[in-house]
Order: sequence, then structure tokens, then C-alpha cells
Amino acid sequence: MTARIRTLALAGLAWLVPTLAGALEGESETFPATAKETGHLVIHAATDLEAMRPLLRDFQARNPNIRIDYVDYVTNDLFREARDACRAGTSEADILLSSSVDQLVRLANDGCAQRHDSPETRSVPDWANWRDEIFGFTFEPVVFVYDRRWVPSEDVPRSHDALLELLRRKPDAYRARIGTYDIQASGIGYLLAFYDSRQAPTANGRLLEALSRVETIVRCCNNEVLGELAAGRISIAYNVLGSYAYAAALANPDLRIVLPRDYALILSRGALIPAAAAHPDLGKRFLNYLLSARGRQVAKDASFFFAENAPLPVGVDGPEALMDSGIGRPIRIGPALLAAQDEIQRSTFIEDWRRHIGEHPQR
Amino acid sequence: MQSWHVRILLVEDTHDVGEAISRRFHQTGHTVDWETDGVAASEILSFTEYDLVILDVMLPGVDGFSILRKLRQSGSGVPVLVLTARSEVDDRVSALDLGADDYLVKPFDFRELEARARVLLRRRSGGEPTNVIICGDISLDRTNRNVMVGKREIQLKRREIVLLEILASRPGKVFSKDELLDQLFGFEEAAGENAIELYIGRLRKKLEGARARIVTLRGSGYQLVSDDAA
Amino acid sequence: MFSRLMRRVGVVLALGAGTLITAAWIYARAAADDAYDRLLLGAAFQMSESLSVADGNLRFVLPPSAFELLGLANDDRIFYRVIDPSGATLTGYADLAAKADLSASRAAPIFGDDAYLGAPVRTVTVSHAMSMPEGPGWAYVVVAQTVEARHALASELTVRATMLVALMSLLAVAGTALAVRYSLRPVDDLAAALRQRDPQDLTPLTVAVPNELSPFVTSINYFIIRLDERIKLLQRYIADSAHQIRTPLTALSAQVSLIDEQRLAPEDRRHLKRVQSRTLELAGFTNQLLNHAMVIHRFDSVQLVPVSLNDVARMAFRNAVPITVDPDMIVSFEAADEDLMAMGDVLSLREAVVNVIDNALRHGAIARLEVRVRQRENFGRIEVIDDGPGIKENDWPNVISRFYSRSPDARGSSGLGFAIASEVATVLRGQLGFRKRSENEPFCVYLELPLVGGQP
Repeated sequence: MTARIRTLALAGLAWLVPTLAGALEGESETFPATAKETGHLVIHAATDLEAMRPLLRDFQARNPNIRIDYVDYVTNDLFREARDACRAGTSEADILLSSSVDQLVRLANDGCAQRHDSPETRSVPDWANWRDEIFGFTFEPVVFVYDRRWVPSEDVPRSHDALLELLRRKPDAYRARIGTYDIQASGIGYLLAFYDSRQAPTANGRLLEALSRVETIVRCCNNEVLGELAAGRISIAYNVLGSYAYAAALANPDLRIVLPRDYALILSRGALIPAAAAHPDLGKRFLNYLLSARGRQVAKDASFFFAENAPLPVGVDGPEALMDSGIGRPIRIGPALLAAQDEIQRSTFIEDWRRHIGEHPQR
Repeated sequence: MQSWHVRILLVEDTHDVGEAISRRFHQTGHTVDWETDGVAASEILSFTEYDLVILDVMLPGVDGFSILRKLRQSGSGVPVLVLTARSEVDDRVSALDLGADDYLVKPFDFRELEARARVLLRRRSGGEPTNVIICGDISLDRTNRNVMVGKREIQLKRREIVLLEILASRPGKVFSKDELLDQLFGFEEAAGENAIELYIGRLRKKLEGARARIVTLRGSGYQLVSDDAA
Repeated sequence: MFSRLMRRVGVVLALGAGTLITAAWIYARAAADDAYDRLLLGAAFQMSESLSVADGNLRFVLPPSAFELLGLANDDRIFYRVIDPSGATLTGYADLAAKADLSASRAAPIFGDDAYLGAPVRTVTVSHAMSMPEGPGWAYVVVAQTVEARHALASELTVRATMLVALMSLLAVAGTALAVRYSLRPVDDLAAALRQRDPQDLTPLTVAVPNELSPFVTSINYFIIRLDERIKLLQRYIADSAHQIRTPLTALSAQVSLIDEQRLAPEDRRHLKRVQSRTLELAGFTNQLLNHAMVIHRFDSVQLVPVSLNDVARMAFRNAVPITVDPDMIVSFEAADEDLMAMGDVLSLREAVVNVIDNALRHGAIARLEVRVRQRENFGRIEVIDDGPGIKENDWPNVISRFYSRSPDARGSSGLGFAIASEVATVLRGQLGFRKRSENEPFCVYLELPLVGGQP
């Protein structure tokens, strides 16, 4: 996981983009057919290759005649590339995978996706399927991660309110010890913050204020935040995708994961077959695999760790019935995400957010 | 056979017919009272005894059926011969049902009328207690003047029946021609021995196939012999 | 009648169902449009309300609730465009409703049907008056939504309505079928009553029928009564004419019989003989004619009953053979061992047999006449056998037709005898038959009738 390189950038804000190892165009890797090649599947993804690798291998074990070209993008690049291809009526990719589901929704809304209906797609819950064009294929709760070396057990926040209370109670103990996304730099961060603000607007405002007062550290992305935590520079990481958090916790036993008990956003990564895909059948075959029981099992065991109808992974502190209790709040893949995609909305929201958090100097 | 005095009541409204009938019966020596009106006829019948009533159905006043019904209701057994001119075949049935002994449909042959009247008169005068004589498979019903050979009913003439009756009354007995002549024709009619031969011949023919035969004994006479007895 | 009624009802129902379904479809389209137009308009208003002027700048916050509202049509794509007072696209799809006359929406929101990105869409344009630093102006919001949900709703409504209409039609058909059957039942009853009725039964119908049918029954009864009257009239006419003809005929023969032959000259005696013979002939023929008419008309009004052939034959035998028959003629009757029963009418049957015997006596028998009753399989036969030459085989079909003389010089007319017998036999589903004279067997005419069960 540490080898993973992830870059998120926001167009027009190039000065803010942290320059990280790896190309903006993303990483590319070819998985040659293990038997005589009869098909060529091109996957364009804004999803870490290392997470996907077990799935790709397993898929190839079942389809040895298929060569896979996997190109990893940052979300915004993937979106731009797909949108331009769609306008031109072409598509290099046979399937798109992205955690920025709002962008996929925008693509589908603009007519860049094709429908797919199969027994596997029918098992996808309603909230993770839009128009039979976008399918959520993962189940990733948004969690808090803390370092038990720094956070005594009585301080462990098990809800958003508890975190607010903690920051108000011990502002000095946690000054500059909280880390979270820079939503300006991270598409996911923006999406999560946008949804946080809608879950409990007032409470969220107060939490942002408190986070601001304790001089919260913002980092571009998941692994950056987790890296700070692992390095002992912060004590609590706020709003991290559970899958990354769990991978980090596996690597570092001092890191502990809490699923907030008031509400927990749940993101499902989306997959989409471009309307002009060259090999839509292969794209659909891979999509079917991702949605199949086998694919979900592999994803749960090796890639994303959480699954909708499975108990929480070992060691995760959270409510028992995540979905049934109503604590899990899935980000519904649907037209409402278009609101998040609106340019003015985005710039206004980020501006507001920055006014709350980002006005103190970053270390 | 017709030596007694016979009284006949004729009820017939058609003058020409009534005249002819009464003339014919007069000629054979019978007394005929001729009535043309139903009411009068009915009255006469209530106090006068007749040997035969010849009754027309269509009558002025009371019709023939009513007269007949009344007659039978009063218990009279006088033979009644009905004449009818109607074609409703029902008439005949009701006539017989009401107790008529015979009927004739107009127009009829006058000889047939006379013959039927004779049959009725004879039936009236008959009446021996043992009515059936059997010889071989020949049976003679004297009441109904019926002759059966086996299952066949043979129609015989009056004198043929009398002849058979004489022979069958004592089967095996030899009757001389004179004896038969006397019994058959009485004294009034002059008939020769040839007549006997003629009747014997006819009777023989009509009894063909029976299990009894009329045997001619040359010179002495005739006998009826049953095959069963042999 | 049932199927024709049902066909017509079916056509009417099908037309009605078609109209209803079409109406339902139109209504469903309107209802779906109406419902989703409200969502569309609501979303557009929410967006336009989010336009504000702050610090001299136009400020716009896209309300997610507007999209959630539109998201009620979950599968539909949403396009929007916000235009500032200067006419520039503030946000959204810049080419949406590019050609539309936005200012028209100032009075009231404008709905329209359009196509965008290759999909049919429903659009709404709303206006919003803005007070800009440079003066008042109009901002516009255009919201478009694809029409999948509308169509889905419309077709769902239509399908439900169709199912309902189909169900109702089915019920109507079933109900009509029941009703029609129920109301036609009296007709069936009436038909059954007519079918089971004896052809000779000319009494009026007494079947209970509903009022609607009573004119029909009245007509039938009127017809029956008229027929009955006519038949009775005809029978009375025949009876009367029989009487009218027979009486003078009898008188004639009576008078002729009174003429004293002895007193006539030989020449006159010869004439008298001729008169007598012709009178007899006339009498016989008149009897045949009248009997024929009678027999034929009896079948119009008489009901058939089981008749003993032995009895009928014996009656006919006694009736037909005159006492005055030639004494040399051997005449015999032989009944069958069992009593054979056939459906018939005693009088007609007897008349038939009498005619056959009479014919044999007059034209056939020389010295022998036999009448026998015999059973032959399922038929009973009354046979009349004579020792005459018989009738030639090729004459058989002719003699049973009316007024046919076997030889040109045939004395008297045999014309109707066989015809009567044959017609009676045919009516009774039997036949008049002949058997050829042969070495062993004499000529025979027989009347053959089907036997009925229940022989004693």
C-alpha cells in the first residue's frame, strides 16, 4: 500500500497540486493473457492498482484468454479524458472505475454510458445503481482513525458529537494533532465534506469551527493523512475511507479504527461502461465479475475489507448493524450527485470550507 | 232352419234404401218393421221384441248410436247390424264398442246384407251347451261358427259348417246321403244327392291338410275319420 | 343465436375497451406529464430562488434538494442551465435550450418538449427578476429532464387501466353470456316443448315463457289452432261428403236390386246386369276413394299406439271376405304364434289389409286365399296369398301408385287398393311388398311393419 501513488488535482488550481511521484496521466500496467489471447480489456480507473490487483488476477484466472490493460488516473483526469472521448464519440476504455461517483453520474447524465442488465447487476442495491449504467461495486464506510499511543481510551471519539466535545474539552491536547482531507485537492474529500454538511448542517458547522480552532492539519488525500498518523505527527485522522484505514491499521497495530455511531457515510466506488466502448462485452464481463459473489469475496478479503452484508472487519470499533440501524448513510448514486458536480456549487462550497478551516497556516 | 217366424226392425231414413231392404227381407218371408225416425224406433224397441235390428247411424231425431246405447243399457241382447254412410272410420269402432254385432258400410251389396243378417239370426238361434267340437286338429266353435284346422282359421259356408257339424258330432259314424240331405236342407228345399256330393267335395278341399279326413264309403255314405285315432 | 349475440356483444365490448384504453392512455400521459411537470417546476423554482445578489455580484448556490426532487424520477437524466441578466450562462449546460426565447417565461413558467444530447426531454423555463447594481434584470433557469419516468408512469397507468378494462370486459362478457343464456333458456324450453310434442298434438302450447316471448307463443298457438281447425274442417268435409255420396249410391243400388229380372226382356236383363255391375263398381271405387282420403287424414290427427298384428289381420280378414264369396273358394286365416305388436293405427292398418285382401279376391285368387301373420326378424308381416297368376314383377312399382290398372280391360278399378295399403305402410315406417309366384310358393302380397318391444 505504501508503494501506492495517488495524485488528486483540481483543474485551474495547479498551484495547489502537491507534486508527488508518478505521472498525472496515471500508471499503466498490462496483464498479458495467460492463454491464447482472444480479447483485450481496457480498464481506465481512478482506483489504486494495488487494491485492484487481486481482483484483476482472479478475473484473469477465470478468463485466461483476455489481456488486460489497466490505466490508473487521478479522478479529475479520468473524468476529463472520458468526457472528451464521449464528446468525440469514442472511448479507449471498455470500463471506467472511479471513487468519484459524482463524476460518473455526470458522465452518465451526459449520455456517455451504456446500460447493462445481468443477473449480477440485479443484485446491486438500489442506492448503488443508477439507470443500470453506473454500479457501485464497493462498500466503504468513512471512519475515524486514531493512534492509541496518543489517544487515551477515554478520549476515543465514537461519534461526531464526541469528537466535537473532545476538541472543546481538550483543545490544547489535540492542537495540530487532527488530520483530514484537503477538499480543495481531493475529489473524494470534497464529496465527503459536501455530504457531511448535508447530514447535520449546524453540527457540522460547529465541528468545522472546532477543527479550525485546533488547527487541524489538512492533507491532499487518504494516504497522506494516514501517513501523518502513522508517523505520529497527528493523533486522529478524521473522515478517512475505511478501506485505506484498514490497510494502514493492518500495517500499524497502533492505529485503531472507529466507525462513528451517530452516522457514517458510505461510499461505493462506481463502474461504468462507456457508450462508445470498443469491447463493451468484455467491460460487462469484468463488471459482472466485480459484482459477482466471487468478485465481492475477493474484494472483501484482499482489497476493500468492508462489505455491505458482512460483519465489520476484526478490530474495527463500530455499531453492530451498520445499515439496519440507519447509521450507515450510503452516498446514493443518482442525479442528486449532479448538485455536487456543479461548478459554482463546488467553488462556493470549497470557498466556505476554506474560510472555516484553511485560513490558518499549514505546517 | 228358417222355419220360425222372424221379426226384423229396420231403422233407415233414406226411403229408397229402406224400401229395398224391407222388400228383400219380405221376399224371404221375414216380417220387417220399418222406421225412419230415431225417436220412434227407440220407443218401439222399448216394448217390442225383435230377432234382428238393422240400424242406420245417421238418423233424424236420435242417431243410431244413441239408440244402440240405450238398447244395450236396457239389457237387450238382440243382434244389431249397423249401417253407416260416414267415412269416419271411428263410427264403426264405436258401433262395435257400443254393442253392435256387425256393421256394413254403405253402399253395400244387398246379398251381403242378407248373408250377414242370416249369420246373426242363426247365431241367435244356436246355443248348444257344448260349443266346441274337436276331431283330429279340426275344431268347430258352434257359437261363433268358427272352424280351425290347426292354427288356421278356415272360412266355411253356412251349409258347409252344418255338414261338418253333423259329421264331426259323431266321428267315425257313417252318414248316408239321405240322412245328410234331411239334416242339411230340411224338407222345404228340394235338393238332390248331387248337392251332397258338391258340399262334401268343397268341405274336403277346405279341410285339406287337416289331421282328419272325410272318407267316402261307396254305396253307403260318408264318415269323418281322425288321423289321431288311427 | 347465442353465438351471434355473443359475437355482437364482443364487438361492442372490444370497441368500448379500445376506446377506454385509448382514453386511459391519453389520460395517463396527461397525468404523468402533470405529475412530473410539478417536480420539474418545483426544482426550477428552487434553483431560481437560490439566485441572489450579494455585494453587487450574482450569487448562486445550487440547492441539492432541487436535484433530490428531480431524483424522484430516479432514472431520468437532468440538465439545467442558469442564465444571468446579461444573458451569459452562469452554470450548467451552456447549450441547453439555446434557441429558446427566454423572455417569454417572464409572465409564467414555460414548459416545452425538446431533445437534448440525443434524448427527448421536457423542459421548463422560469424567470427571476434580479436587482443588479447596473439596474434590474432578468435571470433565467432552464431545467430539462428526460421523459423515461413519465413514459414509465404513463405506460404503467395504461397497463393497469388496460388490465382493469380487460377484467371488466371479461366480466362483462361472462355476465352477458350468463344473461343471454339465462334469457334464451325459455326459448330452448319452448324449442324442446315443440320438439317433444307429438306431431298430431294440436292443442295450444302451455309452456311458461317470459313476457317478451309470449307474443311468439301466442302466434305459434294461433297457428296451431288454425291448423287444427283446418284439419277438423277437412275431416268433417270428407265425412260429410262421404255421407252425401254414399247415401244416393246406396239408394241407387237398392233400387236397382229391386228390379225384377224375371219380368224383363232378355235384352233389358242384359242391361240390368250391366247396371248392377257398374253400380257395384262405383260403390267399391267410392269406398276406396273415401277410405283413402280418410286414412291419409287420420294420420294428421291420430296418435300411434302399439297394435296387435294378429288382431288387425283377423279383423281385416273377417271384414274383407264377404259371406257371399264363391263357395268354391278356400279362404283361411292363420295368426302368428306370438302376438306381434307394431306401432300403428288400428283402423288405417285394417283398411290397408282389407284393401289387399279385397284386391286378391277380386283379381287374384282362383280357388284359394290365405291370410297369415308371420314374424321376420324385427318385422311383422301380414301376408295375403292367393293361387292366382300374381302380378308381374315389373308391375310392382306401378300397382302401388294411384289409379293404375294392371290390364287395359281390367274389370273395375284396382286403382287405390294397393296405394292405400302402401301409403299406410310407409307412414308406419314399413312397406308393402310382393313375393313372386314360384313352383313351391304361390303369389303373395305382404304388409311389413317394424315390431316394437314388449311382446307378451
